[in-house]
Amino acid sequence: MEFKDYYALLGVEPDADTKTIKTAYRKLARKYHPDVNPDKGAEDKFKEVAEAYSVLKNTERRADYDELYRNGGRSHQGFEPPPGWQGGASSAGQQSSADFSDFFNSIFGQRGGGFQGYSDFDQRAERGQDIEVELPVFLEDIISDASKTIEYTIPVHENGQAKRIHKKLKVKIPKGVCDCERVRLKGQGGTGQASAPSGDLYLHIRIVPHPMFDIQGHDLMMTLPIAPWEAVLGTKVTLPTLSGKINLSVPPNSQFGQKLRLKGKGLPTKTGSGDLYVIFKIVIPATTTDASKALWQTLSEASAFDPRAQWEKQNA
Amino acid sequence: MPDVIFKVSLQELCAQEGITETMVIEVVEHGIAEPLAGDHCHDWVFESNSVHWMKKAIRLYHDLEIDWVSISMVIDLLQQKDTLLKENARLKNQLERFVNSQYE
Repeated sequence: MEFKDYYALLGVEPDADTKTIKTAYRKLARKYHPDVNPDKGAEDKFKEVAEAYSVLKNTERRADYDELYRNGGRSHQGFEPPPGWQGGASSAGQQSSADFSDFFNSIFGQRGGGFQGYSDFDQRAERGQDIEVELPVFLEDIISDASKTIEYTIPVHENGQAKRIHKKLKVKIPKGVCDCERVRLKGQGGTGQASAPSGDLYLHIRIVPHPMFDIQGHDLMMTLPIAPWEAVLGTKVTLPTLSGKINLSVPPNSQFGQKLRLKGKGLPTKTGSGDLYVIFKIVIPATTTDASKALWQTLSEASAFDPRAQWEKQNA
Repeated sequence: MPDVIFKVSLQELCAQEGITETMVIEVVEHGIAEPLAGDHCHDWVFESNSVHWMKKAIRLYHDLEIDWVSISMVIDLLQQKDTLLKENARLKNQLERFVNSQYE
């Protein structure tokens, strides 16, 4: 086992006072706390820093640690606590130290106590851990009462040993669920110790981007390409929606970016349905035949339309 | 098939999350979470979605040793960031549909 230099981890001198240690910890905790720093590796770094601080902020524990530190604990290639070592004077804490390093546990025991850190705050009363899992779902799943099989690992306790097991669970996607919502499955998290209850499973619903629809809350947005003459004259289009095809009338003189609201054609909510917004995109044909060019030419000569009239005013 | 639940009661929260009633009251008083129902704190019921933020707030309270006012600001900013990221992704997608001919 490797000797951990808690002073180096916090970037302080071995004779640093409590205030200096606290300041150093706070600075590093703010930087690496996994709730504010999503970077890979931040959580491990934070755990190290938290472990170091939990030892150095406690006078008795720091004295125990300093004894090993002074007696050359660092020089051992493979650190082992001295025979008969009985450190950890403060062992009355309720918190589990399961997430602390072997080095910490070898000095302060499995129940170092006193630290209320990120990894162990919710393990009081030996209840199983809550687990949060991302569940990617397709838009179609939300409207069709579909069920999904999710796979995840949970921490379990067997014969006093903590290990992780793989779990599979079939879940019905609840109607009205929206993107980024978290739903709860009672008792499907990590198992508790002895007869303590299991934790819960939280599913973080993430809707997979759809090739045709964008989502805003329970409303859907769709971009509909139309020809310039369809925009001017109006037309009828068969429109795919999540609940099947519908006929849509594009009104005459529709503009680029204009929105049409189709009530109730969005995603189901817990009480009703959102709306579908169709946004017009006017598309110019890529290749033009001589005949159609002539028609455009006639139009351009007949029309007094100045598309830049407003624009010029704004830029004047 | 297990039932999907959208709610968590105060009792469940305290028993299951290692969170104390005092902490939940702080979290509510600082606007980090709002009970869906319950006049008295013993009857409070929360959305399962808010548990995520409550746990985050309590972790930050323990680990960063900062006061609840600062935590409520941090949570508020993190939520704003989430909303903006989501909105940005949606607008980028929409823009792609407008300018990119593959959607025609």
